[in-house]
Amino acid sequence: MRKLLLAGAAALVAAGAQAGEIKVGSAGGFTGPIAELIAAVQTGRELAAKHVNEQGGLLNGDKMVLVIGDSACDSKAGVDAGTKLVNVDQVVAIVGPSCSGATLAMVQSVTIPAGVVNISDSATSPAITNLDDNDLVFRDAPSDAYQGVALAKYVLDSGVKTVAVTYSNDDYNAGLGKEFIKAYKEMGGTVAAEQVHEPNKASYRSEVATLGAAKAEALVLFAYYGSSGITIIRNSLETGAYTKFFGADGMVHEEIINQLGADALKDAAFTTSGADDTTGGWKAYMKVAKELEAPTAPYVPNAYDATFLIALAIEKAGAPDRSKISAALREVANPPGEIILPGEWAKAKRLIAEGKDINYEGATGSVDFDEHGDVPGIYSLNTVNPDGTFNVVLLK
Amino acid sequence: MEELAGYGNYIVSSLLTMGGIYAILTLGLNIQWGFTGLFNAGIAGFIAVGAYVFAILTKGPAAEHLGGYDLPLPLGAIAAMIVAAIIAWAIGKICIRLRSDYLAIATIGIAEILRLILKNETWATNGPRGISGVDKAFEWLPRPWGDIAFMVTILLTVLVIYLLLERAWRSPWGRLTTAIRDNEDSARAAGKDVETFRLQSFVIGAAIMGLAGAYLAQVQKFIGPDSTDPTTTTFLAWVMLIAGGSGNNRGAVLGAFLLWTVWSATQIVTGWLPQEIIVFGHPIENVPVRSTYLRIFLIGLVLQIVLQRYSAGILPETRPAVAGKSGKTGLEPGRTT
Repeated sequence: MRKLLLAGAAALVAAGAQAGEIKVGSAGGFTGPIAELIAAVQTGRELAAKHVNEQGGLLNGDKMVLVIGDSACDSKAGVDAGTKLVNVDQVVAIVGPSCSGATLAMVQSVTIPAGVVNISDSATSPAITNLDDNDLVFRDAPSDAYQGVALAKYVLDSGVKTVAVTYSNDDYNAGLGKEFIKAYKEMGGTVAAEQVHEPNKASYRSEVATLGAAKAEALVLFAYYGSSGITIIRNSLETGAYTKFFGADGMVHEEIINQLGADALKDAAFTTSGADDTTGGWKAYMKVAKELEAPTAPYVPNAYDATFLIALAIEKAGAPDRSKISAALREVANPPGEIILPGEWAKAKRLIAEGKDINYEGATGSVDFDEHGDVPGIYSLNTVNPDGTFNVVLLK
Repeated sequence: MEELAGYGNYIVSSLLTMGGIYAILTLGLNIQWGFTGLFNAGIAGFIAVGAYVFAILTKGPAAEHLGGYDLPLPLGAIAAMIVAAIIAWAIGKICIRLRSDYLAIATIGIAEILRLILKNETWATNGPRGISGVDKAFEWLPRPWGDIAFMVTILLTVLVIYLLLERAWRSPWGRLTTAIRDNEDSARAAGKDVETFRLQSFVIGAAIMGLAGAYLAQVQKFIGPDSTDPTTTTFLAWVMLIAGGSGNNRGAVLGAFLLWTVWSATQIVTGWLPQEIIVFGHPIENVPVRSTYLRIFLIGLVLQIVLQRYSAGILPETRPAVAGKSGKTGLEPGRTT
């Protein structure tokens, strides 16, 4: 036993002392409310690092190492994880964290003052857009503001001019609901009723009655399917308040068809922050991400892109130097330049060495950062087929 | 050299700063539980009130929430204490007569009500999205001096509160609250107004928790409903106090720094683990991700060990010497009941 422990300790020391490592932080809610989601996201980040390391590594063959920081979807833990990654692990840049609250706290109190770039692969709060960030905060998950606009446009285009809106009282759905209402009104639609609801109630009949009294043409609901979405649709159908529904991300799950039936949902349409499966980036990603258990799980493609981009930026900067990453990141992510697709590390490394411009086109789209470090959103529309499957089309 | 500076920064801005905030919190709880025996299970609510009041009063104008008062930071912190105290007074007026377990139930409920109000009054608090860009003291100083100055401020606050509480502990007021804690009936029989003293202790403790909230908002530069999650506020503060030594101010401070260090530094150690460990021939994959749960486990383990080995906490309560002219004093140490 003692020998075993000693051998273990020796192995630890050896692992810690490997030469030629470049550390990148991998922050996320590994514990806490979305731990399962983040376990999948981490596989996406690790896959990108693996591709980099297999195809020649960073700079002079240095190994890209992801150092985990648990932000627990909690702002205190986010600050703590960021402090550790930036100071103790001396990471060059950070991928993550995942939740918007943890991200806002970590970047404002740790990474911006320290001059460290971070790319979040799943924080969608519009508050991140206008941070005073010295061009250090990026994300490749689109802001909720864009999905609100995309859905508002679709609802109007399908001829619905008055709607009743309800949203679940959590940071994601409430924020998205407000963005939708703002965009819908600006485009000329009328919001006849607006109702917040608390998730996880057994019945939403009183909320539905209020919404139904407004006599709008359709109900737009922003909720997670399990905690309130299904119940609200069921209550609406039972009382005859609404038969036409619109919604977003949180509603798209087979469970809603299983529980409500395809027939009840023939007039329902939900947007998701999707990926354009016709692009070269997506096809390349699907080819190289086969080994993952869930390559298309939420934010896993974003995780791959974010990690790959940081690697490209380090390569472009020519040194693991924090201060050069931000500018290099814009150069490798945005045009002009030769297109680099997911998995093409060796090609990218060669082109950078030759001094040529490159432009990464990832799984999630073109990932061209705007002046705020945001990416434009790509959304797909999910409707329900009579046979109980989702029909997914890209919203242009 | 850079690595050393990095560890230094981490110790300053995480271990000492956050540890100090938890020490303030635990001292506030020590007045309520350690001194007076009030089971407050609603710590999260008072922190939330303090943090939001501070954030709203000191921030510049913002479209998403109430604000634009731009008060100086110390005034904001004082206001946070006052509002927390007023709310505690109102709550105390209603429930302070409840026996400790019933008081615990009432305070859990009230804390959740406070948190839900803060989450739902979107016009004032930006609802579930929270308030971003909170001003932090000394952030205009260059790095790392701003962080150091902020840490020193917090540690000084801990010191001041500690000295005041030590003074209170030895004063007639402190002896009376312990008398109420240990035997309410006999304190009442001695002609003491038990309710008033319990209420005083509850309000002072809550004001200190409000101050901890004001510091928390500054550290994060952000405050949202998830920041005052009861697990890492109410529960953790209780573990800190019980492990450190309830009724002992030094114990409260020690418990706070010790457990925060366990909580925070665990991850440095787990970061050294290899990707895969083989235990007796069974490979355990994906070790770094799995080991993030270790700290939650370790908090429980520390509490177990402390409670097994030191049933009254690491630094148990000692009865203050009754100040006598002769100089020789005393009651015997330790609780008598």
